[in-house]
Amino acid sequence: MAIRVTLDRMLLERRMSLTELCDRVGITLANLSILKTGKAKAVRFSTLSALCRELNCQPGDLLLYEPSEDDALEEAAE
Amino acid sequence: MKALGRGSIASIVKVGLEVVWVVLWIAAAGLGVAAVVYAGVLAAIATGALPESILHIGEATTQIGPIRIVTDAGDRLVWPVVATGLLAGSVAVGGALAIVWRLRRMFASFASGEPFSAENAQHLRVIWMVMLAMEVSRYLIMGGVLLLVTLFGERHGVDLTVRAPVNLTTWGAILILIVLAEVFREGARLREEEKLTI
Repeated sequence: MAIRVTLDRMLLERRMSLTELCDRVGITLANLSILKTGKAKAVRFSTLSALCRELNCQPGDLLLYEPSEDDALEEAAE
Repeated sequence: MKALGRGSIASIVKVGLEVVWVVLWIAAAGLGVAAVVYAGVLAAIATGALPESILHIGEATTQIGPIRIVTDAGDRLVWPVVATGLLAGSVAVGGALAIVWRLRRMFASFASGEPFSAENAQHLRVIWMVMLAMEVSRYLIMGGVLLLVTLFGERHGVDLTVRAPVNLTTWGAILILIVLAEVFREGARLREEEKLTI
């Protein structure tokens, strides 16, 4: 997946743990881990909105676009 | 009453399928015993321990699928008739066991509330393939019966009546299952995507 979620960096900057964030946002730790490790296929706007609210940041601070050859081939196949 | 999940219609059907599963295994065991007993009788006749007249029951009509065989010479239990009957029975019971086993797995997942999985798409695919194989086997067995009657019929005075063999209900069900298997595959894909949507 070419989109990377930079949750680790934001949690470090805000000095917040993953457990604390999931309690504030209302998402399970398992789901937040899926997001953090890049296994998620999609993110709801409501989730993105909650994350930006609690981390006091913009969506662009959380999402990074890093295309690779494998991603281009995968997306072409879809 | 809800259709999926615990205490649903799917749960009731699941119990029914367990009963059918046991009945089919009893039928399969019965076929096995019948085959062994008949083989033993033939061996006994071959060695002279039993008279050949034991196979002569009298004038009778035997139905194998759409084929009705009238044996006016009284050889109802000759090996072509019994072997064909056992083969047709084995295919029917074997196919039914394969289908019911897959249905049991599917309804277990329906009863747990998770219908759309890749496994269920695979189960449906296997079910239509088994039904297709059973239908083709039926035609092959009918062809075999016609051949045996042609070879042995005149000597034993066998008269043959054959009705049209094409079962539109079965073929319609096979086509519907092909489509349903793809529907479930797509449903499983969407469910997987939804699970990974945060």
